[in-house]
Amino acid sequence: MSHDPPGTTYKINRERIDTDYLRNKLKIKSLEVKNSFNEKYPHVEKFFINRGIDFAKIREHSARVIATGALTGTLLFTPPSGIRNLPAPHEIVKNLADANDNQGGNPSQKELLDSIKRILPEKIGPMNRSQEKALEQVFTNTIGVSAKATLEGEHLNTTYGYIGAEQHLMRYPGDTMATHPKLTEKDEGMAPGRGAWGYVPSENEKWYAVVQTLYLPDWNTRLKYLRDWYKYRKVLIVNTVNGNAVVADIADSGPAAWTGKHFGGSPEVMNFLGGSRYKKGPVVVFFVDDPENKVPLGPVDYNNVNIPGVALREA
Amino acid sequence: MSKLFFDHLLNLEKLDKQIKRVAKSVEEREELWLLVDEIIHHKALGCILDKLPKDSHEEFLTLFHKSPHNQDLLIGYLKNKIGENIEELLSQELGIVSDELLGEIQNPKP
Repeated sequence: MSHDPPGTTYKINRERIDTDYLRNKLKIKSLEVKNSFNEKYPHVEKFFINRGIDFAKIREHSARVIATGALTGTLLFTPPSGIRNLPAPHEIVKNLADANDNQGGNPSQKELLDSIKRILPEKIGPMNRSQEKALEQVFTNTIGVSAKATLEGEHLNTTYGYIGAEQHLMRYPGDTMATHPKLTEKDEGMAPGRGAWGYVPSENEKWYAVVQTLYLPDWNTRLKYLRDWYKYRKVLIVNTVNGNAVVADIADSGPAAWTGKHFGGSPEVMNFLGGSRYKKGPVVVFFVDDPENKVPLGPVDYNNVNIPGVALREA
Repeated sequence: MSKLFFDHLLNLEKLDKQIKRVAKSVEEREELWLLVDEIIHHKALGCILDKLPKDSHEEFLTLFHKSPHNQDLLIGYLKNKIGENIEELLSQELGIVSDELLGEIQNPKP
């Protein structure tokens, strides 16, 4: 049995103490803030308790409201100004199909962008099922990847949000950037921790994505099933600014809701979506419908023609 | 998404980086994220209720309960009732919270 070298145990314990200390400090701070709030506004606590909601868990309630609204088509994120002038999603898909026929089945990036921009809500946020269905058809027709907002009954809290740059994930114990493949410029380096499912195999690490599984309304009640279902699940990520698309697999959870981001991408994913300086931008994320595991991870080279001004726009 | 109507005002990247550096496991990281989240939304709602006339609290809470994600509806309501730039006030408050938390995380000396 091997032993830590002299001094290591002290170092580990010191780090452990710091971590525990931090958690305790945040817990105390959280309790202080809650107590102070409840003393000052007792009617708020009562208001939410009467409705069966723990205000501390208001995000869970929000996720349920959004999920219900998406199903019933009653999401109210943006005033529907000018919405009467927009064609129905099926018309957009038909126009796209006609354009494809005229070009011998080689739709341009511009047509993809025009189509998705007419379907997407004005502000970045969850879409209703009608919008998602229309986008599924657009992606199948243009990008050539069968992707679904809802797959096997599972749906992310949002399919349209901001993606942010993540770091490389460790592939095995002791993995470092000295041996890890990296980008030639502005590489994000290695994350200090492991992925949500531990060390990430090399074949899953390069093109990986991060989604907010922790905020799923049923995450805690269906944990075992959902953990397995999401593990290395393939997703299609489409940059809604320039149309670049990549297939990635889910290897970690996050980002925290208070970062202003909803998804994460590995350095390679982000580099392909928007270039080496691309750190945050709007994307659509759908599950890849790939029961036979034939869709490869990596860039989807559906169109080599970039549009001046929007191609590889960096955020 | 689990969206709250003031999420667009949040950008606590530095805090997130520190948590990722300190957390030893995914479970620990998510636990710390949720603790920060609880602190933030209590502070945000406290800031709003401090400014909002008391006789409007019930109406605001009802709107918030029905559509906690609806930025246009809730920010619009608050602008109308408070008559100030509520987004600026909230940004300032959340910035202070972020700095406080960051200070505690960066100097974790028992």
